[in-house]
Amino acid sequence: MSHVLVVDDDPVIADLVAFRLGRLGLQVSVEFDGEAGLAAARQLHPDLIVLDWMMPRMNGLQVCQALRSDADPQLARTPVLLLTAKAQEPDLERGFAAGATDFVTKPFSTRELVSRVTAALPPGSVVE
Amino acid sequence: MTQTGAVVVASSVVTGLVVVLLLSVGAAHVARRRREQRNAARRAALVPLVYTLLDGEEAGAVLAGAPAVLDEVVLHLLPQLRGSDRKVLQDLLVTRGVVERAAADLTARAAWRRGRAAMLLGSTASTAHTAGLITLLADRSSQVRCAAARALGKAGDVAAAPHLLAALTAERTLPSGVVGMALLDLGTAALPALREALTSGTAPARALAASLLGLHGDLHGTPALTLTLADDGQPVDVRRAAAEALGRISSPRATDPLCRALTFSAEPVLRHAAAEALGRIGDPAAATALVAGMAADDPGVRAACADALGALGPDGRSRLTQLADGEGPTAGTARGALDALAVRSARLHPMAG
Repeated sequence: MSHVLVVDDDPVIADLVAFRLGRLGLQVSVEFDGEAGLAAARQLHPDLIVLDWMMPRMNGLQVCQALRSDADPQLARTPVLLLTAKAQEPDLERGFAAGATDFVTKPFSTRELVSRVTAALPPGSVVE
Repeated sequence: MTQTGAVVVASSVVTGLVVVLLLSVGAAHVARRRREQRNAARRAALVPLVYTLLDGEEAGAVLAGAPAVLDEVVLHLLPQLRGSDRKVLQDLLVTRGVVERAAADLTARAAWRRGRAAMLLGSTASTAHTAGLITLLADRSSQVRCAAARALGKAGDVAAAPHLLAALTAERTLPSGVVGMALLDLGTAALPALREALTSGTAPARALAASLLGLHGDLHGTPALTLTLADDGQPVDVRRAAAEALGRISSPRATDPLCRALTFSAEPVLRHAAAEALGRIGDPAAATALVAGMAADDPGVRAACADALGALGPDGRSRLTQLADGEGPTAGTARGALDALAVRSARLHPMAG
């Protein structure tokens, strides 16, 4: 079973994403700030991280950069899907430069989120 | 009664009142905590049902009669979702009568109720109440007017765009920032109205329209922005906004008109904006005008020209280096720009050198 880590400081959004992904047969863990998210990623080694950009303590970009420069090569390669209201061209550039694999921009559609998560995970990970 | 006795009675009364007051505050605090706990428990029970509803399952019947705390959850989620998710939540609010109550409150006597209703209708992203919200743009309360403007932006009905622009110069005005945010919320659907405002609106509307066209990177707006920039009859604020917008759009077609504004305008603020825009565009064809601009009396114009030359690539930097070799304020500005470039380069490529 593929494991997804959801990191978002808005508990309602974090829980909604976790609920939706849980229904796809994925194992889902949730954290509510960047620092806790990074610690959880190092401990859990998820197959995918859904990461909010604007968060207290460590923002999504900082988490992304920390992941990409991690000594553990497996963790450094973990796909990161940035969930963010920042949708301008320079924001996308900054996100990709920090190591994001893909973006879902807020306001978002849970269907689109599911499609992007499915595409980022190995084939057969998701049960629709 | 003796004077001492009166003092004792009075102090007893005061002490009693203080005790009663403290007990009342304590009781209110306990009651509020209980209410919050009760609401949190209700919210925790209802939230999964909302998720289930969003997942396409039937939960509407349960949610339609759920306590009012559900509306907080739905209104919190609504602006963060789009597409079918948003429609599901909008329908739920309609079913629960929330939208109908808010629409009725648009004409309430109390300003806070009108403002709250406007915000709520904006959050529901429904275009059904555009007319009512437009009426509130002229409300006697400035806070209600602002709430109505933000609601119109969130509701996403592009028909509101001309009314929002008109509110900039109405008898009861709205701040440009509030109108700008609302127009940005309307997204690219507002571009035709903004282009129209740029050519036929009032001066504040033209300035705001120019800024927003720039923020949208609207390539189709380039000809009208170029004309606005070149028009000596326009207020300098409008021309400056046009120059800034052309820089953001970054079409090389704007290089020539911006060079002319930099060279021939007598307004330092416009020359500064033109130089900055030329730097954003990065067209090497601007180098000669920028070098000439380095001789300006205004230090801000010189600095903007120097920064723009630094953004033109090797040719611009080479010209800056030549200018830095000389004497006087021009050389000093060029040296400052070269230093800033070196610092920026060191930050971007810390391992280089």
